[in-house]
Amino acid sequence: MDNGFYTVRAFYRKEGRIKYISHLDMNRCISRDLKRSGLPVWHTLGFNSHIYLTFALPLSLGYESLCDSFDFRLTREMDLEMARKQLAAVLPEGLTVYRLAKPVEKPEKIAFADYDIFQEFCKDAAIVQAQLKEWLSRPEILLEKKTKKSQKEIDVKPLFTLKKLEEQGENLFLSLRCSAGGTCHLNPTFLLDAFAAETGNPPDWARVIRTAVLNDAGEPWV
Amino acid sequence: MNEIKKALERVLLRVQKPARYIGGEPGSIIKDPAAVDLRFAFCFPDLYEVGMSHLGMKILYSLMNEKENMWCERVFAPDIDFEEIMRSQGIPLYALESLDPLKNFDIIGFTLQYELSFPTVLNMLDLAGLPVRAAERNKITPLIVAGGPCACNPEPLADFIDLFLLGEGEEMNLELAECLIQAKKEGLSKEEFLWRAAKIEGVYVPSFYTVSYHENGTIKEITPKAPAPAQVKKRIVKDFDRVYYPENFVVPFIQTVHDRAMVEVLRGCIRGCRFCQAGFIYRPLREKCPGTINTSAKALCSNTGYDEVSLTSLSTSDLTTLEPLLNEMLEWTEKESVNIALPSLRVDNFSKSLLDRITSVRKSSLTFAPEAGTQRMRDVINKNVTEEEVLRTCRTAFEGGYSSVKLYFMLGLPTETDEDVIAIIELAQKIVDLYYHLPNRPKGKSVSVTASVSCFVPKPFTPFQFEPQDTKEALQRKQRLLLDTVKTKSRKITVKYHDSVTSRLEGALARGDRRLCAVIEDAWRMGAKLDGWDEHFSIQRWTDAAEKHGVDFDFYACRSRDYEEILPWDHLDYGISKSFLMREHEKALSGLPTPNCRQQCAGCGANMLSGGGACFG
Repeated sequence: MDNGFYTVRAFYRKEGRIKYISHLDMNRCISRDLKRSGLPVWHTLGFNSHIYLTFALPLSLGYESLCDSFDFRLTREMDLEMARKQLAAVLPEGLTVYRLAKPVEKPEKIAFADYDIFQEFCKDAAIVQAQLKEWLSRPEILLEKKTKKSQKEIDVKPLFTLKKLEEQGENLFLSLRCSAGGTCHLNPTFLLDAFAAETGNPPDWARVIRTAVLNDAGEPWV
Repeated sequence: MNEIKKALERVLLRVQKPARYIGGEPGSIIKDPAAVDLRFAFCFPDLYEVGMSHLGMKILYSLMNEKENMWCERVFAPDIDFEEIMRSQGIPLYALESLDPLKNFDIIGFTLQYELSFPTVLNMLDLAGLPVRAAERNKITPLIVAGGPCACNPEPLADFIDLFLLGEGEEMNLELAECLIQAKKEGLSKEEFLWRAAKIEGVYVPSFYTVSYHENGTIKEITPKAPAPAQVKKRIVKDFDRVYYPENFVVPFIQTVHDRAMVEVLRGCIRGCRFCQAGFIYRPLREKCPGTINTSAKALCSNTGYDEVSLTSLSTSDLTTLEPLLNEMLEWTEKESVNIALPSLRVDNFSKSLLDRITSVRKSSLTFAPEAGTQRMRDVINKNVTEEEVLRTCRTAFEGGYSSVKLYFMLGLPTETDEDVIAIIELAQKIVDLYYHLPNRPKGKSVSVTASVSCFVPKPFTPFQFEPQDTKEALQRKQRLLLDTVKTKSRKITVKYHDSVTSRLEGALARGDRRLCAVIEDAWRMGAKLDGWDEHFSIQRWTDAAEKHGVDFDFYACRSRDYEEILPWDHLDYGISKSFLMREHEKALSGLPTPNCRQQCAGCGANMLSGGGACFG
């Protein structure tokens, strides 16, 4: 214990219609869930006292996840499996906390994230697959990245590895490992939107699931 | 998987704030549709963020869902971007809990909170795939009903709604639902059912009444079809302390206008401000006991996870037990970091100790409503506060560490002169000066006084129901006068004002009759919807629709009415007698105030709603 609190990392899944809530909404939602859970949750000491809550790697609106996390603090030490059950009981449909643990690594240690992506096109998936395969294997992929201040061109090629690309029924399935956290964070939608715009292949429907968050050694970040 | 759910998957990421359209929020109620006898869709004719802030919906939603045989769900109007997609993809309007199409429900109930939402009601019916006109819907279900404050003059919607629910819904809604369950079992026709429903106190079936007009456009006669009653009386809950109150709310994912726990502490109002419709149509005053309120507040906060609870009513500082209640609540709110918000405070009973209590956890904003700039004008509208009280309140706030206050005023009040308009800014300036003369004002901060000035709209069931509304030209001139006055004064004063064009339309709809139905329908067909939002509103559609039907909005908005004239809502009984409104109107024109109900009974008639006898003591 330091400073009167114990920091706890909650690992959770976000699946189904709750994927439509943004990161800010998620923050507010979890904060209220923590309050509802009745756990002895630590509040910040500032003028505007609120529940301490921080997310290591915010999830984009529309993404599902099997492996996200947030940190919060308890005012006293307690059995974490019991605390997990207490929290899980008040979460809305689609959110599942599967593990509570003491944080081991700092958020800065996050280096990669894996994504499963399903896309459906109004044309034959095999054609798009061939085009995408060619597009992704270019020696460099220069994309315009807008920041709040400026617009610059970056090569995203070093920021991802294609682990799998195949047809699954009518869908196109991709497994991507992307650089995550910090300044070289790559959002897979950013990559695939660029492909769609350049080649005229906007998907009819897409589903993105974050399947792993990894440290620089490629091990699960804990 | 449900068809709509599948279709939503394909489109939701293309719209703004998709979380508005998905449901699944904590506190939302899911039931097995096969296990209930009646499905009720509570429709709010505006966006999710607005509708989810509405307390009435929360109460009636929970109340109905407590019944095992009923399932109440929520429906809001989609924003323009999502509506386009719904129409192009053939997605019908659906309810958020089940994602089932609205047209499959037994009762579709709209709440009418403001007149400009009327075309949105039509748009929602159309998005559900239903004919907007009641006469074109022949089956008993879905039954289209409407309630809420604007149901006190429902005539502009008379052609679209099957029946209106006048007054408070807690008992009436359940009775109506049971009546429909029974009627379905017996295989009644829609007409047979409506006759049976009309026997429920508070239920008004507009098709049972015909209206005829004089040549000058005023109403000649409102004739009930026998055996419909000549007057339909509004419904109230007599034992308000024991009325049902939810222990849980649906907690939205996205931020809504009022995103907090709310406990209703009293209903009605003792003040009788002559411009205020709510102050008359919710009479008589009924309070809850502090214990009841505290228990509700505590349960709501722990079930929802909210860190703010507001004590809601038309005038919360009029709650006789406010101080002991706050003491009782502070015992747990401070410990749990829960903020108490008091949204409706009066300047004549605001104290240092009240201020301390509401700022004990987090400082909320301070807003007061002097409503007018001069004492003469405040006497006309019966806003019984003095300038001294306004200044004393601001002083208390400044000494308590506040450096900004917001004040509500109205423009275009009956008998208003330029002097009254200028005095609004003068009052704001006096508050600025007061701040700089206080030795113990907040250090190093400059003061900010916001005067939010709306356009007065005369409403039914108020003493000003006989009064003409200022023309839009007169209002615009007064708005310029305000701005010119503030320019010569101070940069510490910010003036915000409302659009006079929408106010005139609101005025016409508020006191309109059945001839406006066709105008509303055509304005909607020309694209009117979500008209409460400036970016969606266009007066042109309304002007075109009015012209097409030979309707002059000024006839409704800007015309003075004789006491003898039959008003479109005269066959509805809200407990307030017309003779009382006439007396109050006369007093207003003579600048005479009326004491509040606790000081002296003014004989409005509302005591008869709770069985006669005195309201107090």
